[in-house]
Amino acid sequence: MNPTENTLDQAVEEGLERLTQERITRTVNQVLEKETGARFTAYVETCMRCGLCADACSFFLSNDRDPNRMPAGKVKQTVWEMLEKKGRVSKDFLRRAVRIAHLECNVCRRCSMYCPFGIDIAYMMLLVRRIIHKLEITPLYIQDTVNSHSATLNQMWVKEDEWIDTLQWQEEDAREEFEDLRIPLDKPGADIMYSVIAPEPKFQAGLIYQAAVIMHAAGMNWTMPSRPGWDNSNMAMFTGDNEISGRIARAFYETAADLNVRRIVMGECGHAFRSVYDVGNRWDAWAMPPFEVVHALEFYHELLTQGRITITEKYGKKVTLHDPCNVSRGRGLHDMAREVVGMTCSDFVEMTPNREHNYCCGAGGGVINCGPPYKGERMVNNRVKAEQLRDTGAQVLIAPCHNCHSGLEDIVHHYELNMEVKFLGDIIYETMEKRVYTPGV
Amino acid sequence: MEEKHTWDWRTELKEIPVSEWTSRYNWVEDPCMTPDGESVAAIVNLDEMAFGICVNGELWDGEHEKAWHLVALPGNRIAAAVCRDEEWSLVVDGQAWENQFDFIWNLSATPDGKHISIAFQKDMEYGMAVDDTCWEESFENMTGMTLGDTGKTAAVVQVAPMAAADINAFAKGVFAVAQDGRFGEERFLNAWDISFDATCDNLAWAVRLDREQYSVAVNGTVWDSRFQQVWQPVFCGDAVVAPVRYQGQWRLFMNDEPFWLNGYANLWRLKPSADGRHLAAIVAQEFGRWTVAEDDQVWPVTWDTMVRDIYYSDDKDTLLAVFKDCGAWGLARNGTAWNLRCDKIFTPDMNRDGSVVAVGFENEGQFFVAVNDQVIAGPYEAMGDPVVNPEGDKVLVKGIKNGVYRRQVVTL
Amino acid sequence: MNAFIDFIMGPMVWISFLIFLGGLGYKLYRIIHEVRTKEGYVFSYLTWYHSLRSIGAWLIPFYPRATRQQPFFYGASYIFHLALFVVPLFLSAHIVLVEEAFNVSWPALNDTFADLLTVVIIASLAFFTGRRLIQPEVKFLTTAQDFALLFIVLIPFLTGFLAYHQVFAYQWMMILHILSGEFMLIIIPFSRFSHMITAALTRAYTGSEFGNVRHARDW
Ligand code: HEM
Ligand code: SF4
Ligand code: SF4
Ligand code: SF4
Repeated sequence: MNPTENTLDQAVEEGLERLTQERITRTVNQVLEKETGARFTAYVETCMRCGLCADACSFFLSNDRDPNRMPAGKVKQTVWEMLEKKGRVSKDFLRRAVRIAHLECNVCRRCSMYCPFGIDIAYMMLLVRRIIHKLEITPLYIQDTVNSHSATLNQMWVKEDEWIDTLQWQEEDAREEFEDLRIPLDKPGADIMYSVIAPEPKFQAGLIYQAAVIMHAAGMNWTMPSRPGWDNSNMAMFTGDNEISGRIARAFYETAADLNVRRIVMGECGHAFRSVYDVGNRWDAWAMPPFEVVHALEFYHELLTQGRITITEKYGKKVTLHDPCNVSRGRGLHDMAREVVGMTCSDFVEMTPNREHNYCCGAGGGVINCGPPYKGERMVNNRVKAEQLRDTGAQVLIAPCHNCHSGLEDIVHHYELNMEVKFLGDIIYETMEKRVYTPGV
Repeated sequence: MEEKHTWDWRTELKEIPVSEWTSRYNWVEDPCMTPDGESVAAIVNLDEMAFGICVNGELWDGEHEKAWHLVALPGNRIAAAVCRDEEWSLVVDGQAWENQFDFIWNLSATPDGKHISIAFQKDMEYGMAVDDTCWEESFENMTGMTLGDTGKTAAVVQVAPMAAADINAFAKGVFAVAQDGRFGEERFLNAWDISFDATCDNLAWAVRLDREQYSVAVNGTVWDSRFQQVWQPVFCGDAVVAPVRYQGQWRLFMNDEPFWLNGYANLWRLKPSADGRHLAAIVAQEFGRWTVAEDDQVWPVTWDTMVRDIYYSDDKDTLLAVFKDCGAWGLARNGTAWNLRCDKIFTPDMNRDGSVVAVGFENEGQFFVAVNDQVIAGPYEAMGDPVVNPEGDKVLVKGIKNGVYRRQVVTL
Repeated sequence: MNAFIDFIMGPMVWISFLIFLGGLGYKLYRIIHEVRTKEGYVFSYLTWYHSLRSIGAWLIPFYPRATRQQPFFYGASYIFHLALFVVPLFLSAHIVLVEEAFNVSWPALNDTFADLLTVVIIASLAFFTGRRLIQPEVKFLTTAQDFALLFIVLIPFLTGFLAYHQVFAYQWMMILHILSGEFMLIIIPFSRFSHMITAALTRAYTGSEFGNVRHARDW
């Protein structure tokens, strides 16, 4: 079943068919009354309907300033109406709500910086997704990733042996470059647990290879877990399945605790960072992550400034940098990112707006995970990003986030921008000196 | 661990040089030490795609294309997963199992060290093997492998086919719990966290029945109560207790009935005392503040980061907690924290009544041993967990210093 | 008639202020209480530093990037809000009343200037209204309630202005002025005007989440 204006994918449509009015009303009210508090009430009651948040949203800007796509407009079409109707909303309303909350919002929190009250619209969109989750009308592909998380603790149905086998295979391959390179599995008391998202072993094992080379060359005392809990991604936090989200976060941190590491370093992923640093931990009553979580960006910065990795020759092509919202707005790493680019590339051009004010890639917040049926609208919905990229005239686009990476590749292709999309790790791997760091040398 | 009596508690120091291994082999992987400290072992690289297992300086027979998962087991045995011609097997004390597999992992042993289990994959089907005997049936997928104290095994297995992204099949429930490879009629949306009772006659686990409803299954029969979420249930004597999220708070249920009166922001890792008369758990009394509750009474201290694990002494007098506060690890005994703060802390050990507690820890890359909050040994470059003798007057310290493995018996 | 005027200029002023302040105070208490019982996590992240940092940044005209993108609107809004407090508090006619009653006084605004500010308020309200009628994204959000709120603010200022200039029947204007002013005060805690206090709270929380947890700026 292909989605159109009036229908969504099979999971949503079949789910809607099963629903009774009684269940809809009960669920909506349960979430809005029982699972929220003064914070939610304050957001709803404080909003002056001033429309200032509109300029924040790439969906609004990309669709010729269509009010339906502005942040408060999305709240109006979902939450406000649910409240007004005391939960007695129709199936057509819900279908529209699924589209708004899952496909027309990246929960990127940019609008919190444009609303003068700092109202957190992403939070309200996530509440809508929670209702959708409870009504079992979450879009198909993202629901499948949550199912996978629930059964395997990783996002892509990677089986336990496949995971270990992939690591061993990358280790073997990397021994072409460093004869004694290891990807140490389950090394108790290592300093660093390195963690990745499930798409890496599934589709991009080369990234694990690169990470292993960087770790080895930098002489780090590191390990990777063989048991589930290695995947730091978390799609459940984007479908409102907080229970599964909490379970994922627990497994992740207990893995680190079992291995007794000092800190966790993770690959270049924005939403995964958000999941372990900011969201998943909270359901488990960890106010802050119980282990220091270091995003790859920060880690590269550390290795380069400490001289553990040296660059033979800076990367020469003209590059620009996309700030992933979940590590810039989500962790303030944007200046560090620029320093890393400065240390590794010779020709850098900014895209504007940037840093905390970046436009989202359009893929984030689980939008790309809703799958191929919605790719077309995703392209339309992020025209501003394409324009922003085109204006830089760069040949290479650095995107230190998996979601952004995939989302931007689509954008680059669709708008024929003729850019190469790269991770920072790709650039470092290409330009670094392939020798093992020894202190004092 | 009654067998501790039989260990050598008399010889003060035994030394095995280990750094010289690095000159003999291309590289030496991370060392591991048996509980009694008599052996130190490592996977070593002999040549391209040729690995051996070196124990106390001697190589076990046989070269392997790959080797990993080297562990020292209770009972002082050493085991590793090894591969030749794409076939994996388990070697235990140098002896390879007869069975060969396409892959093996998740090596575990019973506390007495008598039984060893692994998870295997063969021809893309999954199962468990105990002491070189495989489950009769194998499955499309398998998670949550569990080994009971008497050597029985269980795991969550996929028993119905499910195509890629088939959320309808998933919603119907494709998972069951298989015990020693056999499974019943029940299908679950999800099943997790299997626990055996002490005799391995009974099994309990957490289940999810639909998007929102969680419960506990005991030998396949699901409790009547429905919860918002469930963590691992455990057997406490004959009863099954489980931390459950109920009316927005974490509570403890026993045999389908409310048990502890207090609600918590979180409650997990239940630990019954050896006699099953007391029950402790890691709890967050409020968001972001961690402590330990024993029989629903919380300790008078809280920590901001986490409590990693809790341990009862054999006769219940002592309850230990390994915690992290303001970014540093520490150890607390019966509600009172030691002064020790460190970068990493390992698994503590104690005598019967818990009056003597020993633990290994690391600060700034160096390893030490502390007994009752006093540092008694170190620094080392690497270390195994210290062991307290049953009388509580000696501590076995296992560490590598200046490239030499030292098994030391420290008299207190 | 005089008794009625005495009432609205005497006890009713007290009552209005009591409801206004008491209402806001109660609202603040309710919010904090509810957050404590239902959303305790909020306090784990809230810090004075990051809260005040964010509120401060948003009080500086045209400091936040977003405000620079809408200079006209924010300009109007800043002046409107400033005048909204300044005019009633520093109007010589109001200060005289307070002095008569309590024998305390403070410097007053020049009457002509106050008059000018009143015009600015009325103009801003007209601008806000126009925006709601014309600008698509604002129009989309606007309901009758939003016009009503603008109207509630408009009346006391408009009647005050007319009374000052003695247009129409002075006494009736005055009565209308007093009543509508009191009504505005009373309605504040029970309407979206309570943003007077919630603005600080929502900003503080967002500022703390951004600053304390995410190490980023929210302006
Ligand atoms: C310290 C107190 C106050 C603060 C910080 C504050 C802040 C704000 C903010 C941030 C907005 C959103 C849009 C804008 O910038 O105009 C706003 C709008 C507004 N405020 Fe206030 N406000 C305060 C007090 C009041 C009071 C006491 C009233 C009236 C009784 C009021 C009336 C309004 C009106 C009518 C609007 C809507 C403008 C429109 O229709 O677009 N404000 N306020
Ligand atoms: S969170 Fe981002 S995508 Fe969603 S409404 Fe706000 S600005 Fe738009
Ligand atoms: S900017 Fe804030 S107050 Fe204005 S409409 Fe948007 S959410 Fe509401
Ligand atoms: S995918 Fe990247 S840009 Fe998009 S929301 Fe995630 S971090 Fe932001």
